[in-house]
Amino acid sequence: MLDLVSLNLAGLDFTTLPQQLVNGFLLGAIYALVALGYTMVYGVLKLINFAHGEVFMLGSYGAMFASWMLGFGPGGSAVAGSWVTLLLMLLMAMLVSGASGFVIERFAYRPIRNHPRIASLITAIGLSLLLQYGGQAFLLEGKKQAITSKVNPFADDFVFTPKKADASLIAEAAKVQPEVDAAQRAFDEQKKLETSIYDLSPEGDRLNKVLAAAIAKRDDLKNRADTSAVTIRLPKGKLIMLTTTIMLMIGLWYLVMKTRMGRAMRAVSVDFNASSLMGINLNTVISFTFILGSVLAGAGAMMYSTFQSAPIDPFSGTAPGVKAFVAAVLGGIGNIPGAVVGALLMGVAENLVTWAGYSSYRDAIAFVILIAVLLFKPGGLLGSNKVEKV
Amino acid sequence: MTQFNFGKWFGTRAISILVALVFCFLLDKFMQGADKSYGRFLMSLAGIYVTLAVSLNLINGITGQFSIGHAAFYQIGAYTGAVLAANKFSALAASKPLLWLLLSAFFGAIAAGLAGLIVGIPSLRLKGDYLAVVTLGIGEIVTIIAKNQKSLGEAYGLSTAKIESVFLISLLAITCIAVCRNLLKSAHGLAFLAVREDEVASAAMGVNLTRIKVTAFVIGSAFAGAAGALYAHTKAFVSPPDFSMDVSFLILTMVVLGGTGSITGTTIAAIVLFLIPEKMRDLPYVQMGTPLGVAIGIIVAVVLLRKIQENFHGAGSQRLARNLGAVAIGAVVALVMAKILIMIPAFQGQINGALFRMPVLAVTLVVLMLLRPQGIFGHHEFSWSWVQKLLGKKAPETEVAA
Repeated sequence: MLDLVSLNLAGLDFTTLPQQLVNGFLLGAIYALVALGYTMVYGVLKLINFAHGEVFMLGSYGAMFASWMLGFGPGGSAVAGSWVTLLLMLLMAMLVSGASGFVIERFAYRPIRNHPRIASLITAIGLSLLLQYGGQAFLLEGKKQAITSKVNPFADDFVFTPKKADASLIAEAAKVQPEVDAAQRAFDEQKKLETSIYDLSPEGDRLNKVLAAAIAKRDDLKNRADTSAVTIRLPKGKLIMLTTTIMLMIGLWYLVMKTRMGRAMRAVSVDFNASSLMGINLNTVISFTFILGSVLAGAGAMMYSTFQSAPIDPFSGTAPGVKAFVAAVLGGIGNIPGAVVGALLMGVAENLVTWAGYSSYRDAIAFVILIAVLLFKPGGLLGSNKVEKV
Repeated sequence: MTQFNFGKWFGTRAISILVALVFCFLLDKFMQGADKSYGRFLMSLAGIYVTLAVSLNLINGITGQFSIGHAAFYQIGAYTGAVLAANKFSALAASKPLLWLLLSAFFGAIAAGLAGLIVGIPSLRLKGDYLAVVTLGIGEIVTIIAKNQKSLGEAYGLSTAKIESVFLISLLAITCIAVCRNLLKSAHGLAFLAVREDEVASAAMGVNLTRIKVTAFVIGSAFAGAAGALYAHTKAFVSPPDFSMDVSFLILTMVVLGGTGSITGTTIAAIVLFLIPEKMRDLPYVQMGTPLGVAIGIIVAVVLLRKIQENFHGAGSQRLARNLGAVAIGAVVALVMAKILIMIPAFQGQINGALFRMPVLAVTLVVLMLLRPQGIFGHHEFSWSWVQKLLGKKAPETEVAA
């Protein structure tokens, strides 16, 4: 009855496994940017910001509007643009997200900071519903259309082949090549006599068939050689994405560990009340944390919608939001390295499930892993009370 | 303390049960007839939502375990009812519909209760936010499994026999309320409250934490399962989107809005919150400026009300007058802003009013949390002595059992 458990390991294609791992790593890097927002806000305020996924959604709208302003019209099917376009889209997404994060904190969370935590959690859920369905009413005006921003100037890939194709098959394909050349020459000779390629004489027709058969034979051999190889494609756009993510994370690390504001954030996360007694302005620190987390989510949103070609609609923040949240909890919520580790794990797991042929379960795997980990390590992978929280 | 009087004790309960049965019967009779089909459907849904909200209240409000995946158990009950009706009991469902409905609710409750037990025992060791995350995940997992299983109809859903019974549904709701209320008034119920207030202290006083939490979880999910089975037959169709995360959030909203721990509040909030979106389904098209104006009016009213709450400490009647004044100012601002905004060409586009069902729900939630975070009723319950006090009479010495 359960078609869920009938795992078919024999049918798996292990030559595509490295590619899926790389894809998972790249996806995990985006989740990590979003998860950092969850984990920082939780560390400082002990609040699960369920509206973070909607901040992410607003960020992707920001990127989309920026690309529209730069001349890539609605639908944005053009694969063009430049460095400057991408940079402007990234900045716009971060600006929109950061502003919305600030507004949400200032007007929804701050007034009820001293109330029971369930109140702020319900507010977060309410805000998330408001942004989703309000966006549906205003941004889409009822039309359920998704938009993709596909402004990517770096359409070509780097290709690596760690394991070479089957040599004997390549040699055979090379042996066939003279046959193909001869058939091509014969056909070209004949074609000079024909008036047009569309009405071939019986002789031309025969030569054409011989040529097609030779080409098919050669391509089949090449194809079989290729599938025996392990090839990893790294799209240039995704490499830029990874570089930007790593740079943002280094920036975050510097900010948290080396600056005064970062020290204040760490202090607040250790003891909320004592840090305010020590002269730390709680409102500033909390606002700053929200803006920081939201800006990172905006960067993630721009990359997700551009390089992963994810559709943009008012509900598009939910799935990555929930996954990033699960990643943050998986790594130990409140723990910055934990969020990154959890997110990478989540991205890889998701791609492995797709690779194994259960792509419809890819949204469930996040929660299965989470529950499995929490049952054995209730604080998350890296989380415990000893570890410093931010 | 008066002596325990068995006759009075038994009499009160017998009368309560009789009144409840007669109430359900009259409700059912009143709702019969072809022209009342929509009303019957609404009444059934109201009963189902009350059951769901009160059963979640037992877990969230009374025991203090933050579960946000209640739709999972609702869904398990609904699919149990639908699958059994389609495969094993189709003859019974056709010949004796009411008996089958009762059995179906029973099977749904058993299945969901078992699921609650399996989920509860390991996950209730987790605390606070972690428990919330795990229950959220279980809700998602159950939906995704239902979406991918061929035997459960995949994304298309399952259709089942249509059996409507306002009687059974309202009886289920009343039973759920009665069980929760009686639990609270008994010695066992005090243990539930103790766990909510302070886990460490109650464990020190000899309360078995795991047993209390798992009991609450199993009872709550069993009621949700029974409600699900009845829902499947009321609608004659179940599909995964009926049990999405939004449904869990809606039930949670009912609990928090009514006041966590207050059965009365939860019941009222369940009916109100379920009716708001239903009644907004047939709103006409509105100009885009109107909802924006209303939003601005709401913001103004909320800001004023918060100022009054924080800065005014006068007598109750003066406070009420000021609060009403703030709301009136908000309404005026809403009207004026709506009139001004629709003069701007950008806001003259037409929007389907029915699209504002969920935003209105969300705004209600946020505004209520800003103004009254403990919910409408807080931890209070409806009681006859409270009514008497409201009417200016002195409360009697002993509380009359409601």
